[in-house]
Amino acid sequence: MARVVGGIGASHAPSMEHIYDAGEEVRSSDEWQPLFGPFKQVADWLEELRPDRLVVVYNDHMDQFFLDAYPTFALGVADTYPVADEGFGARPFPPLPGDSKLGWHIARSLVADEFDITICQALEVDHGVISPLPMVDFSEGEGGWKIPIVPLAVNVILHPLPSPLRCWKLGQALRRAILSFEDDLRVVVVGTGGLSHQLTGPRFGQVTPDWDQEFMRLLAEEPESLTKYTYKQLIELGGTESVEVVNWLAMRGALPEDAKPLVTAYYAHRIMGYGLQTFEVAA
Amino acid sequence: MELTQDYLARLDAVQPKELPSDLDLFDEATATRGIRLNKAAYSLKDEPQRDLFHKDEEAWMEQFGLTDEEKDLVRRRDWIGLWRAGMSIYVMVKLSGVTDTPLPEIGKQMRESGGANG
Repeated sequence: MARVVGGIGASHAPSMEHIYDAGEEVRSSDEWQPLFGPFKQVADWLEELRPDRLVVVYNDHMDQFFLDAYPTFALGVADTYPVADEGFGARPFPPLPGDSKLGWHIARSLVADEFDITICQALEVDHGVISPLPMVDFSEGEGGWKIPIVPLAVNVILHPLPSPLRCWKLGQALRRAILSFEDDLRVVVVGTGGLSHQLTGPRFGQVTPDWDQEFMRLLAEEPESLTKYTYKQLIELGGTESVEVVNWLAMRGALPEDAKPLVTAYYAHRIMGYGLQTFEVAA
Repeated sequence: MELTQDYLARLDAVQPKELPSDLDLFDEATATRGIRLNKAAYSLKDEPQRDLFHKDEEAWMEQFGLTDEEKDLVRRRDWIGLWRAGMSIYVMVKLSGVTDTPLPEIGKQMRESGGANG
């Protein structure tokens, strides 16, 4: 049977792509080391943990899904996930490998658990997946992507949004889906997005480091307390676009209660509160 | 009563009401108002649409049934006007791409905008 062997929460942002693509010298510069250094730690940890699959809870930014039919939850059941063209040409990465068998199993299990997800046999992933993922899951040169993924998209951009409590329960249902999979796979669950950022209005560019760090503390120590926050509170605390943190909450919901934070890093820079947190699961 | 406190709390949880005036949402009102502009800007994720935009911006706009006011907002690169007309920031960045407008420039205008309602 499959097991959940760890969790990762990571911000996603186009800026992370620009810096990654600019090369090692820029990544390790004084300006970006506070973000990319911790990502290297996570890559090393993952190398040691050697998971077989990553289930990535993320959100799309109108690169795959559009307002003509916007899914509240959408799950990939494909064997490959091409990189979306977000309007500037797609980044030159090969398609990410998937696992249709695990995807379909998760689909059945989530529907059985009353999460009636949109099932996607074709899905292009945008920076919600591929801004953090190369830092931990990609070998430059011949190697390419290392670990097959199953993407699970959450609507965090068109209100009404699934509540923080609902996203927590989605994570718990995802855990049951993984634990009931027949193959002996080691799975790490990833939640991407946030932390604080505001991209519209007079507060454009506002970052709130105190709240971001409190969020990561609560996620580690009292994750269920975060299910009691309303979207109004989350928006006032971290900005309109910061509600992506519910993806982290779903990730945490998929881990056992006693999962322990291992790497916790935070860097408020320019218009983003960048967060990175990994969770260790006892064997 | 059928509409329990629990139900009402759930209903309340999925969408904020009465945000401070310097914060905004993408919701029923904006999605409805911006339906044409969002469709137009979303199209720019496809390269042939970007090519058409560069070659003949008016012909590009014709495809989406934009109103005269909406076309004018696009022509004038009026980012605050487009935002108030319901354009989502996530498709606005695609329009900013084809018009070579850096996000910090849009951000500067946002900060000076006085809010979604002016």
